[in-house]
Amino acid sequence: MSQEHSVKIHKEPGLSQSSLVLGWGDDVGDLGRRTTDYLNRKLKGQEFAEIEPEYYFPLGGVAVEGDLAQFPESKFYVCPQHELVIFQSDSPAVEWYGFINSVLDVAERHCQVKELYIIGAMVSLDAHTTPRQLLAVVNSAELKDVLSQYELIGDMDYQTPPGERPTLNSFLLWTAKNRNIPGVGLWVPIPFYLAGVEDAQAHKKILSFLNERLDLKIDFSDLDQEIQEQNGKLARARSRFPEIDGYIQKLESNLMLSQEENGELMRRIEDSLRETS
Amino acid sequence: MGIRLYREPQLNNPILVASWPGIGNIGLIAIDTLRVTLEAEEFAEIEPWHFFYPRRVEIRKGVLEYLEFPSSKFYFKTIQGKDFIFFVGEEQPAEGGRVYAQGKKAYQMANLVVDMADRFKCRRIYTSGAAVALTHHTVKPRVWAVPNNERLIQETSGYENTVLMSDIEGRGGQGTITGLNGLLLGVAKKRGFDAMCLMGEIPIYLQGLPLAYPKASRSVLEVLSHSLQIEVSLGRLDELDEKVERGIEEFYQQIPAEIRAQLDRLKHVTYGKPTEPGPITEEEEKKIMEDVEKFFKKGGGAV
Repeated sequence: MSQEHSVKIHKEPGLSQSSLVLGWGDDVGDLGRRTTDYLNRKLKGQEFAEIEPEYYFPLGGVAVEGDLAQFPESKFYVCPQHELVIFQSDSPAVEWYGFINSVLDVAERHCQVKELYIIGAMVSLDAHTTPRQLLAVVNSAELKDVLSQYELIGDMDYQTPPGERPTLNSFLLWTAKNRNIPGVGLWVPIPFYLAGVEDAQAHKKILSFLNERLDLKIDFSDLDQEIQEQNGKLARARSRFPEIDGYIQKLESNLMLSQEENGELMRRIEDSLRETS
Repeated sequence: MGIRLYREPQLNNPILVASWPGIGNIGLIAIDTLRVTLEAEEFAEIEPWHFFYPRRVEIRKGVLEYLEFPSSKFYFKTIQGKDFIFFVGEEQPAEGGRVYAQGKKAYQMANLVVDMADRFKCRRIYTSGAAVALTHHTVKPRVWAVPNNERLIQETSGYENTVLMSDIEGRGGQGTITGLNGLLLGVAKKRGFDAMCLMGEIPIYLQGLPLAYPKASRSVLEVLSHSLQIEVSLGRLDELDEKVERGIEEFYQQIPAEIRAQLDRLKHVTYGKPTEPGPITEEEEKKIMEDVEKFFKKGGGAV
């Protein structure tokens, strides 16, 4: 069940067989928002619908981030040339099932979506010099076969550990399955000391897959430049702070850091990446 | 949003007995013990996804195989010529970090349970929960009975070890039953069903602990089986009670001696009508409560 009246369609997108890429605005490394922003910018996405926040967010005030008042947003964009729908949203705080169904209602009824791609990121204890991987969880064995030709890690076994709850991505994937919409949850592990800022390599990893799979023909030269700059900043931080270099070397050797070392590494790296070059 | 009925049992004006988790899981343990002991058969459930966030996902070889939600199931049993429906909710549909359901979802769920009572023409509904009381864990818990209409008040006077809110000193017949175990009584009243909530007493100093309190569940079951006129073996509960009792005693011994001495006086509290003098004075009762609150505010209860 969805709150049908919570969906506002500004303009029919005019699609016949589309794919939906979905990113949350509040995940690790801001990957969901950055990826959907990037796709919208490169593919000239046009907003055509939104979900009103009143049923899904507490709205007891506004959050302030980076000195700016924030307000929950849940917007659909269309890239007609590519039969692509992009959905960017904050994660709902309540009424998850209603929210998910609202998303899928728009996808099915207004966009004729045939496949769903959910962007996700997870915190990793690996060093940033370790190549990024892309993990995939599908909701149908058929889609797994189709995706086997891509560079994905798709054989994961997982059960929610005691005391934890499944991710919203799993809830979405399961609901899509019940509506016979094939979908894949894509997960990029991001080094923990980049999780609070950004990880250009993770960004490119997920975008490269989408580019290939959806035949988007995106030129990534700007993203390559960004990766180069980020790597440069990280290299400079290593040479400026020998202890930071030591911590990263430990991670590169698959050794664990203490809690204090983790904290120090995160703080120094975040400061270094925020500095203008 | 609705109920999935796996089969339609032929029942003759059954009694519906329902419970959700609450303090000490007193009601839930009582009702679930009854259900298991009587070997009631599952026949329906409330579709969970409207009410709950999933609690477990299972992914095998990269394929999402299963998403598990807290269950809200109906069972039936005919025993000694009487028909029963049991409802057991594994969680209350609470949001925003609350333990108890309230608002729209609580009301919707309570109505779905009463829908079943309606469908099978139930003649009465029972719920069960906890009554936080000035009592001691070595004392046999009493059962507070709250009916939803006048006619049932007379009936409860025939129950052993049972009190009404008006029997509790200082309450004046008033109180609140938080969450769905209470709300169901109200929804039943609105829709014309006789209903009663039976609440087992839990000592005030145990209410915040993540412990079951089967001793009170036992009291509830004794009253419930009398009211239902059925015989139930309580062996399962006694085993659980023994285990829990040891944990409670360990916790109790960690409480500072001077506060424990105050709490020990609760062994002698008995409820009476306001005209009957209690074994401890109002002043003393207040002092006990202040000391207990002080201790738990300092984090003494975190074991």
